Amino acid sequence: MEVASPARRARVAPSRGPAPWTAVAVLMAVLVAGPLLVLPGSFVTDAGAFGQIADDLLPEALRASAVLAVGVGAGTLALGGGLAALVSFYDFPGRRWLDWALVLPLAMPAYVLVFVLLGQYDADGPLQRALRDVLGVRLPEVRSTGGAIAVLTVVLYPYVYVLGRSAFLEQSRDTFEAARSLGLSHARAIVRLALPLARPALAAGAALAVMEALADFGAVNLLNYRAMTDAIYRVWYGAFDRAAALQLATVLVGFTLALVLLERMLRGRARYHGALARGEAVAPRRLRGPRAWLAAALPLLLLALVLVGPLAQLAVWSVQSLDAGAAGAELARAALISIALASIAALIAAAAATVVVHGRRTQPSRAGAATARLQTLGYAVPGTVVAVAVYIPLAWLDHRIDGVLGTGLLLTGSAIGLVLAYVVRFQALAFFAVDARMARLDPELDDAAQSLGADRGRVLADVHLPLLWPGIVTAALLVFVEVMKELPATALLRPLGDDTLAIAVWEATKDSRFDTAALPALLIVAVSLVPVVLTIRLSRAGAPLEQETVFER
Amino acid sequence: MLTALIRSRARLLLGAGLLVAILLALAVVAFGGGADVVVYNGRSQYGDEAAFKSFEDRTGKKLELRGGTAPELFERLRSEGSETPADLLVTTDLANLWRAKEAGLLEPVSTPALERQVPSRWRDPDGAWWGLSLRVRTPMRNTGVPPELVQTYEDLGDARWKGKLCLRTSNNEYNQSLVADMLAKRGRRKTKALLESWMANDPQILGSDVDVLEAIASERCMVGLTNHYYLARELKDDPDFPVAVAWADQDRAGAHTNLSGVGLVKGSEHRADAIALMEHLTAPEAQRAIAANGEFGVNAEPPDGVKLDPIDVARAGALLPDAVALMQEVGWK
Repeated sequence: MEVASPARRARVAPSRGPAPWTAVAVLMAVLVAGPLLVLPGSFVTDAGAFGQIADDLLPEALRASAVLAVGVGAGTLALGGGLAALVSFYDFPGRRWLDWALVLPLAMPAYVLVFVLLGQYDADGPLQRALRDVLGVRLPEVRSTGGAIAVLTVVLYPYVYVLGRSAFLEQSRDTFEAARSLGLSHARAIVRLALPLARPALAAGAALAVMEALADFGAVNLLNYRAMTDAIYRVWYGAFDRAAALQLATVLVGFTLALVLLERMLRGRARYHGALARGEAVAPRRLRGPRAWLAAALPLLLLALVLVGPLAQLAVWSVQSLDAGAAGAELARAALISIALASIAALIAAAAATVVVHGRRTQPSRAGAATARLQTLGYAVPGTVVAVAVYIPLAWLDHRIDGVLGTGLLLTGSAIGLVLAYVVRFQALAFFAVDARMARLDPELDDAAQSLGADRGRVLADVHLPLLWPGIVTAALLVFVEVMKELPATALLRPLGDDTLAIAVWEATKDSRFDTAALPALLIVAVSLVPVVLTIRLSRAGAPLEQETVFER
Repeated sequence: MLTALIRSRARLLLGAGLLVAILLALAVVAFGGGADVVVYNGRSQYGDEAAFKSFEDRTGKKLELRGGTAPELFERLRSEGSETPADLLVTTDLANLWRAKEAGLLEPVSTPALERQVPSRWRDPDGAWWGLSLRVRTPMRNTGVPPELVQTYEDLGDARWKGKLCLRTSNNEYNQSLVADMLAKRGRRKTKALLESWMANDPQILGSDVDVLEAIASERCMVGLTNHYYLARELKDDPDFPVAVAWADQDRAGAHTNLSGVGLVKGSEHRADAIALMEHLTAPEAQRAIAANGEFGVNAEPPDGVKLDPIDVARAGALLPDAVALMQEVGWK
């Protein structure tokens, strides 16, 4: 899957035969997609495993995952798209602040939100009890289909919001004004013109959110929502059947890919370059009176529920656990390990994405395009499955290397396997970020540089790198945040004995020891917030600036 | 502008270099080794480091405890094969030890001290695994419920508990082991009927044993099913916690008892020290530390003369896939 293709084919050096950059792209694709071959491979090696258990679990799990996909897709489209339109086309008190604050829930891992909700709103929680005793009402059950969809929607909508927002920013004021002059009201111009024009971006955001939802393990497990990831876990750890688990995973990945293809088909060839940034962005319309306050209040309420409330609760629990003598040194160590792992994975993913995107631009080829897509495959695969997929070939390799060199288990015994798993899982994010940035660079630039005698190396160093920089940093930051939150692959592949923050949260949450889980959870969110804020600043730095001063007195 | 970019790039490169250094340091820590015994420890969440610590203090040997859930540790052991750094495998339930034994990952061992300290019903006949503590999965009741109403597992299926029964999810390993053991001892027909009677009560399915206990305390449920030591923990925090344990099937086989245990990993490089640690963990002093959280030690009689029914892991282990399928079939979420 790709978010956007280069607007025009670059005309640099029509190449014959495989080029060096293509070789790098192929290597990356093999590294990322290669391990995933063990998924379909499991049907060959253990043909009989997909037996009774899978049959029993599969229909319900598939149905649950499909419901989740549809719900989260629709939910994030409505919420993220609606908020992006609100912030882009209307002006109201607090808008500038909300503009970036609405991205922040990206730093909140779904499983953390779930355990806060379970602790806070659960039937025996203080809030629920108070509401029941005083008002006689019950909050809706969190452990339900609706609960799972709602939780995943409120943490995943930023994908749609971010992409939608930048699409709206790039829309031309002239086009919008033309529609207005033809008699459309402001609101109708948004619905009839701006939203359809932003459709590819909104759909891409929703596709990311749905892929995340389908791959989610922690939240789904805590909510006892029996989606495919839960079935995989059940078959593998409950029934000890790794082959059947891998086969279930194959089904899940196939399902996700089918959804992605469907999204691409629906999107069709629709691309709206003509309407893109020529001149100023659409001027937001100032809201007045109660409507202005309502426009500000709804996003604020959302942030209060998703971010501020849970953070406050986490802080309270953290203080309680510190009073009870929580092990600070261990947590500091876990935090360091988390940050180190996330940084390394982010650097590798961003560097690889840059090389691949640059190669695709300067030497377009069929192989390059296909391998670029292959590298993004891992994003559709749940972390648990990525972990196994990486572990099996790596362990095999380890034993071979050890046989020759006597090095012991070099790859699986250290963090190398884990970092590789992170790259497999999140390479897609890095690729999208860099690729989207490249798509905005005019290919004429390359031509100009080459006509002045620059070879490809210099085009990369002196033209692409400086201009791609915000995209590359965004790529690294996105991967960093995801790795901080990542749970299942970390659980399986971490060098044993070295806990990360996510593991510390998970171990405590499983036994409902919420106060113990609170401090590491708070640290995850706090550390993740920094890159999220940086990402916002970066993405806005390069975007066409709004000329809203016109409207401000 | 350009210089600013170059400068920020240089700074980032510097940062990248630093991070690579950190990774190398981490890798060194991971490889560091030097421990006299490496334990793959599934019990890392039960606060019994004291039992291990006292071994270090007494012998001067250095232990390395690597935590993880039992299935993770098992997968690790299996793929590490003969290269594994592990000397001992410690798990919180017997199914995973049984599975390790079946996969040929454990080396049978026996010493006079082990045989003296661990009664024969709490160890593998071949010596592949030795029990460390007992965990009884049994009904719990709100203290407002008369004891005579909850005396067997079947009682939880009584229609009077409709909407008032709390269970943990069926993907929990303790539940899976319980059902597999029932399949082994009662047969499929009776087990299915029992589970169906539970499901007929529209049980509330919760995420952890602690959740179940708290739901019973708040009278959202009146009865439930948990491991016994979770209640001991709650009572330690709050002596008035209004839940009581109902030891099941005392007139019959006894209450279902799972084991936390330890096995010697095949190919262990520190065999002598590892066996010494096994002996230490089953000796009275360490047993007291392990039992401090409410679990029963293996070499002491359980209090109140409670009748325990050890899991028949040789048969139940093989029936685990059937147990998972049966729970799915009856609709245990």
